[in-house]
Amino acid sequence: MKPAPLDHAAPTTVGEAVALLNDPEREAVALAGGQSLMPMLNLRLARPDLLVDLTRVEGLDHIRESAGWIEMGAMATKRAVERSSLVRERQPMWHEATLQIGHPQIRNRGTVGGSMAQADPAAEYPAAAVALGAEVRAVGPSGERTIPATEFFLGYLTTALAPGEILTEVRVPVIPPGRGWAFREVCRRHGDFAMAGTAVTVDLDASGRCTATRIALFGVGPVPARAVEAEKIVDGEAPGEEIFERAGRAAAGAIDEPLADVHASADYRRHLAAVLTGRALAQAATRAGRPEGS
Amino acid sequence: MTVEIPKRIDQLPNPEPRYIGKRVTRREDAALLTGRVEFIDDVALPRMLHAAILRSPFAHARIRSIDTSEAEAMPGVEAVVTGADALRWQRVSGSSPDGWGGRCPAVEKVTFVGEPVAAVAATSRYLAEDALERIEVDYEPLEPVVDPFAAMEEGSPLVMEANGTNVMMHRVFTWGEVDEAFDTAAHVFTERFRWNRVGANPMETFGTVCEWDPVTLEMTVRGAIQSASFMGLGRAATFGLPTNLVNVKANAHGGSFGGKGGGRGIDIAAMLSRKAGGRPVKWIEDRVEYLTSGGSQAWDRHYEAALAVDADGRMTGFRVTLVDDLGANGEGYGSISAAKPLTAFTGPYTIPAAGYDLALVATNKLPSGPYRGMGPPPHFMVLEQLVDIAARALGVDPAELRRRNFIPPEAFPYTIPSGNEYDSGSYEEVLDAALALAGYDDLLRWRDAARADGRLVGVGVATAVEPGVFDWNAYATVGLPQTGVPEGATVSFDIRGCATVRVGFAMEGQGQYTLVSQVVADYFALDIDSVRVIQLDTLAAPPSFGPGGSRLGVAITGAVLGACERLAEKMRTVVAGLMQTTPETIELRGGRFGIPGVPEAQMSLAQVAGTMLARSDLLPPGMDPLPEATYVWTAPDRTPADEMGRAKSYLTAAQAVHVVAVEIDPDTGQVEIVKYALADDCGTRLNPVVVEGQTDGGIAQGIGAALYEQYVYDDEGQPLTASFMDYLIPTIAEVPRSDKAAVVTPSPFTALGAKGCGEGAIHTTPAAVMCAINDALAPLGVRARETPATPERLWRLISGAGVGASGSTGEEREQS
Ligand SMILES: Cc1cc2nc3c(=O)[nH]c(=O)nc-3n(C[C@H](O)[C@H](O)[C@H](O)COP(=O)(O)OP(=O)(O)OC[C@H]3O[C@@H](n4cnc5c(N)ncnc54)[C@H](O)[C@@H]3O)c2cc1C
Repeated sequence: MKPAPLDHAAPTTVGEAVALLNDPEREAVALAGGQSLMPMLNLRLARPDLLVDLTRVEGLDHIRESAGWIEMGAMATKRAVERSSLVRERQPMWHEATLQIGHPQIRNRGTVGGSMAQADPAAEYPAAAVALGAEVRAVGPSGERTIPATEFFLGYLTTALAPGEILTEVRVPVIPPGRGWAFREVCRRHGDFAMAGTAVTVDLDASGRCTATRIALFGVGPVPARAVEAEKIVDGEAPGEEIFERAGRAAAGAIDEPLADVHASADYRRHLAAVLTGRALAQAATRAGRPEGS
Repeated sequence: MTVEIPKRIDQLPNPEPRYIGKRVTRREDAALLTGRVEFIDDVALPRMLHAAILRSPFAHARIRSIDTSEAEAMPGVEAVVTGADALRWQRVSGSSPDGWGGRCPAVEKVTFVGEPVAAVAATSRYLAEDALERIEVDYEPLEPVVDPFAAMEEGSPLVMEANGTNVMMHRVFTWGEVDEAFDTAAHVFTERFRWNRVGANPMETFGTVCEWDPVTLEMTVRGAIQSASFMGLGRAATFGLPTNLVNVKANAHGGSFGGKGGGRGIDIAAMLSRKAGGRPVKWIEDRVEYLTSGGSQAWDRHYEAALAVDADGRMTGFRVTLVDDLGANGEGYGSISAAKPLTAFTGPYTIPAAGYDLALVATNKLPSGPYRGMGPPPHFMVLEQLVDIAARALGVDPAELRRRNFIPPEAFPYTIPSGNEYDSGSYEEVLDAALALAGYDDLLRWRDAARADGRLVGVGVATAVEPGVFDWNAYATVGLPQTGVPEGATVSFDIRGCATVRVGFAMEGQGQYTLVSQVVADYFALDIDSVRVIQLDTLAAPPSFGPGGSRLGVAITGAVLGACERLAEKMRTVVAGLMQTTPETIELRGGRFGIPGVPEAQMSLAQVAGTMLARSDLLPPGMDPLPEATYVWTAPDRTPADEMGRAKSYLTAAQAVHVVAVEIDPDTGQVEIVKYALADDCGTRLNPVVVEGQTDGGIAQGIGAALYEQYVYDDEGQPLTASFMDYLIPTIAEVPRSDKAAVVTPSPFTALGAKGCGEGAIHTTPAAVMCAINDALAPLGVRARETPATPERLWRLISGAGVGASGSTGEEREQS
């Protein structure tokens, strides 16, 4: 369990890092918190020639609010996010998602950018990002670009980042007062990757009917996905157990081919997705219209 | 001179013992927890090399050829070994049953994924792993057999062709009139159970540093080794060496639970060392190796069991048919785990007749190894489920049905049908204590109210006997030699009256160094800080087996007290000589030697020791001047097994009752433990802190087995649980806090009345959790019969019940 031979570079600016990642002679890979990459290196499943260590790059670990967005630098650790009162108050779903990632030891080192770039199908941040309409900023040899979260996750462990591009920031809109949200998952143990999970937001219109509902499922397909059919079932309806359960079943039914592993079969994952979506919608609807959250 | 070992604390020559039986903080912890102790990976010897092992990617394949030339040519690579070296230097390893061992690395054929095929020693572990990639192995894949029932069929692929069958052993044991018991029973309850592979997962994997001198053939083995002397004997046997050429220096290690395994890692490192001219070779097992090919896996069992019960709810017969999937060979003591239930087959009950139909089967999976409890935990899961099935069918409260069948206190010592003798017990008192602590009646009211609301809640009460003080006689059935197991200690004083105790086992986490200190300090009325415990290499230490089979606490207490008795006797002789009287007139009391009632005729311990060491001219003629004594303890009155395996083997029988309440989420199948209370009786509690620690750990592992842990293989024999992402051991968040009560019924057979308690709760927890789950499921008419009871398994049962299908597919029947 030792990595194959490789070089290590620790640049201090984004420009240097991008240059190193685009070294034509060597296959280079960015290293953030290492919580996913190090095991892959040690198992020799990843064999880059060069590790571009981002830990010393300046200006990548901010957590701030700007014009209705919470902006988090790629190298902000999950622990820092978890402890940020700004995130807790202005983007409580992101806070809740953070608490469900692994254990404190993992969150101490693991980063916001690392989780997005890793794109694990059962990871919390990608799902929250899709549900919330987040955006990803990336810098490559040809400059900076912004990618909506809904277009960022392309497939199993695959993102829209081009080789040689660095993810620099994740921006998430704040949750406006009155919007209900819920983030729920089922895992085998506390801190495990989810067997299934769902991130939901619901608004209530003047007549108390659901509107602008967003549902993102994770842990069930190769990427976190919006359950558009289910959203449509809910929108325009008064909150109620029956409608939420129906939406849950629709969300689960729309999953192409649920993942299967030693923890959960495809059937069970699909079933969990339905149950969780129903429960999350109910919780979000209860929260909606209550500005103080919860 | 016969040595009388005190059987009770008040028989110590000290009216005011300060440590034994008290909550003494473990003395070894500060050094362990701050890393002051040398663990194996801390060892760095001059010119040391690092090993890495190439392992089979196939569950079953012939090795056509191995080409190591490229690896050998790499700078920094100092030695490479393959099966050819094993063939040259090793004998076929011992196994139980006989004839199922092999050599390592594999010769000709691999029989499980992860089996060593070659190994490299290089100047760094990195280089060694690089070199593995340059070794070319040409395999001819063979069809694997992964299911033990398929393995028993005619025409199945054979794990070991030469043996002509995959059935390593099939025996039917009958104890008492079991057929008659079942023929005449008012009720018979039959059920099938599946206990999936689980196993030990210590924080530290195995590791070793070996030196094997090519000239003198002396072998020095360092390592995270649970039983140093036993390991040394095993290596000598494997390599055909005189036993005194192998010296083992066991390092303190981060737990074992049976999983340290290790013989094969040592064999590889030793051969590499010999090929590298005797340079030390370190091999540290990594976690993937540990999980897929280490000492990690145990108890892969398919049960069919039946309980006969008379009209009054008295159990009259118990029958178990077990197909035990031992994996690829009989080296790993998996078979022992199937034999150990003989030591407590009928649990705490007066069941007069029993039968055991036992098939040990080879498959292309990792050979099964030892694990805390060594086999009875699944057995009790089975027995306790059947008791609950009976209680439910008869409409009797499960606690009450157990009470009705308990061995009564006056019946001890009590011989069970399978031959072992229980020393003592107060089973009803333990049950009452557990029920009271749990608030059993309130729990049942809570359950009934919640059930009326449609919730799935259940209460489980389970009990088990923990056989204590490991003894080989129990394993005659699987072909092991019938002999006792020694534990020795040397107690000595220096010139200032400080004590040093020399033992042969390493620190493993159970606190035995503290126990040794407690015993010596109280025997001689010393401050515990003036007792130090040191560990010697196997060639210097007194005979020792070390921890295992809930033995060391009892055994080392016996050894240390025996040595204290001998040393006191020696010192009395010295004092008698100095005081010109006879030794019988000299008394040791409260740490002083002298003539009772004569204040001026008293000497302190330091004065006596000092005189012995510094003024041997004053001693009685011919007197050995060393203030030290050694005693080697073995369990008294053990008997070899008869043709049905019946033996007086394990010396003590501890007992416990656990009460668990659970709630199951009907939509997800997730289990929440709402309440956990227990009472246990392990005789005199030498250090309650240590007993509770052992209980907590056993509960954690029991929760793991009941709800989380399972080694999974696919149809090709590929392990799917190669990391802790997939093999789920419970974390602190999954383990409930338990309320604990103690009942103390001293053993009449042991030093100070203590019983083995090191495996403890793992005997009872899986049974109790499964009882609670099945109580919760009872209103649905389905039963959980497979461990771990994962959310998906429970969801399938629950949703199946919802649509009218029964989760129990009709194998179980009740005949009235
Ligand atoms: C025991 C354990 C439990 C875990 N449980 C969970 C869980 O429940 N939920 C969960 O979501 N995750 C979990 N994780 C994963 C954890 O959150 C990782 O930290 C995360 O997936 C990767 O973040 P990192 O900063 O460690 O990235 P690294 O491991 O350093 O990198 C991961 C990948 O992202 C790339 N990368 C990283 N940063 C950038 C960047 N700025 N630009 C471009 N590419 C980049 C790397 O090249 C690499 O390919 C767990 C991990 C462990 C070890």
